[in-house]
Amino acid sequence: MTDRNPKLLIEANGVSKQFANGTQALKNVSLTVERGEVLCIIGPSGSGKSTLLRTLNALEEISEGDIQVNGHSVHNRKVDLNRLRTQVGMVFQQFNLFPHMTALENVMLAPLKVLKQPEAEVRARAEQLLAKVGLADKAQSHPAQLSGGQQQRVAIARALAMKPSIMLFDEPTSALDPEMVGEVLEVMKALALEGMTMCVVTHEMGFARAVAHRVLFMDHGEIVYQDAPAAFFDAPRNERLKTFLGQILKN
Amino acid sequence: MSSSAKKPTDRVSWVWHGVYALVILAIGASLYFASKRIDYSWHWERLPEYVISTEGEEIRASFDGFVEISEDGKTLTMTEMKGSGRETFSGFSQVLVGQGDLVFQNDVLARKPGIRPGPLLIGLWLTLKISAISLVFALPLGLIAGLGRVARNPAARNLATTYVEIIRGTPLLVQIFIFYFFIGTVLQLSAFTAGVAALSVFTGAYVAEIVRAGIEGVARGQMEAARSLGMSYPQSMRYVILPQALRKTLPPLTGQFINLIKDSSLVSVMALTDLTKAGREVVSSTFSPFEVWFSVAILYLLLTGSLSLLVRRLEKRLAHD
Ligand SMILES: Nc1ncnc2c1ncn2[C@@H]1O[C@H](COP(=O)(O)OP(=O)(O)OP(=O)(O)O)[C@@H](O)[C@H]1O
Ligand SMILES: [Mg+2]
Repeated sequence: MTDRNPKLLIEANGVSKQFANGTQALKNVSLTVERGEVLCIIGPSGSGKSTLLRTLNALEEISEGDIQVNGHSVHNRKVDLNRLRTQVGMVFQQFNLFPHMTALENVMLAPLKVLKQPEAEVRARAEQLLAKVGLADKAQSHPAQLSGGQQQRVAIARALAMKPSIMLFDEPTSALDPEMVGEVLEVMKALALEGMTMCVVTHEMGFARAVAHRVLFMDHGEIVYQDAPAAFFDAPRNERLKTFLGQILKN
Repeated sequence: MSSSAKKPTDRVSWVWHGVYALVILAIGASLYFASKRIDYSWHWERLPEYVISTEGEEIRASFDGFVEISEDGKTLTMTEMKGSGRETFSGFSQVLVGQGDLVFQNDVLARKPGIRPGPLLIGLWLTLKISAISLVFALPLGLIAGLGRVARNPAARNLATTYVEIIRGTPLLVQIFIFYFFIGTVLQLSAFTAGVAALSVFTGAYVAEIVRAGIEGVARGQMEAARSLGMSYPQSMRYVILPQALRKTLPPLTGQFINLIKDSSLVSVMALTDLTKAGREVVSSTFSPFEVWFSVAILYLLLTGSLSLLVRRLEKRLAHD
């Protein structure tokens, strides 16, 4: 703890994860994320990208290693997980909006119930956030009445309502029709420009190249290679990554 | 195009409605002829009296004594046989005793006019009351047990599982006997309380399974999204999972309540005059078992049918939200 670099928001050391059925999803993974950094994670299906992201806010337990977020050990039994999770926003591939609530109520729920902030304040902030993701006019709509792109933008607003210090995105555009991918990436890009710390699992190479400070390649539960986007995409010094990028370009 | 495509399906469906009516008619006719063969004389006219009684209220003697009727026949005076008590009645429509008769305590002297619920209706009311009260207790019990079934805590999970398995693995009639004769005696419960307790505990176990299925039917991502926002497990359940789960459980819950109404007929083994017990009593005073049991069945159907109708309305309204 004493030699911790204060710039580091996330510090994962030697993390391994084995599922109950024996699948080894993460093998000795170490990772750091600095404040204000945008990190993109790519890799083939089943390589452990989602699992890695989900261990960062303890949605998934780990078998070995240690993960620190803001200096708190996430997988320590004594840590107040609920408080820690308020600092880590998460956006899911399937949006996971609460279908029985309006967009506004989705954004307001956690600040009201977890942070116990006064309703007027929460409402004002929720309306601001919906405006920020371009959905001021959809505040009273239920998720079923929104397009996929709109739902994902509400989900981003919902996570931001907790004022997290880092945002985790797990393939936020993979479930979207192609014409809606852009609007979600725009919101994420704006967020990155504001200086939000972000970990983004994505297949959108264009986004990674344009927005990321660092890109990370995972395969078979390991971080195989990481570099700044220009070097990563244009001159990868790793055979597995070369093959992977080659396959992607073909499609 | 749509109108030409529609017509043949319409005609086909009318054919099947006709088939339905024919089958029902055939069953009705065979019932009728079957009853002819056993030489049963139907007396439907006796039945209405047991649903809604026009006999009026009975006036009974409060002591042993002699009857004295006034000349205009409008007042009746009782004089006590061993003592000096006197009692005067009026406002009746029918006198059932004669001038100077010796009557004993509790004998019926006369009847006041008016309509009253007959024994079958009173039984129906008890059935409705015991089912409704049992439901009120079964719902929270089932909710708690259902939450226990999906809990991560082994103590909660095993307790809930044990409860559900014991209740679902034993006949309701046996449970009612245990509640009535054992628990009811130990805790000095009235028959009604024991009945409510037995039905609540029984229905609670089934409600628990319905609640569990409802919770498990909510997408996994919902709990994860709620937890990722920092909500605790109870908060996530209360604000995110249960509102979705309970909406889905409305149809099976209605089914369970309808079962409850029907199962409540088993409390007639205790000293409770529900609709079934009332039916039995009416049979013994009318000797018309067929009419009585058909009527009892229709009364149950009325109760359960209107309930399904009500819930179907409610569901439509919920679906519109
Ligand atoms: N709950 C689970 N139980 C058992 N195995 C799991 C579970 N979740 C994931 N796995 C396995 O762990 C490995 C890593 O899965 P993960 O979802 O992290 O991959 P991913 O890189 O996110 O893939 P994708 O691009 O398809 O989302 C896979 O082999 C997967 O089958
Ligand atoms: Mg994944």
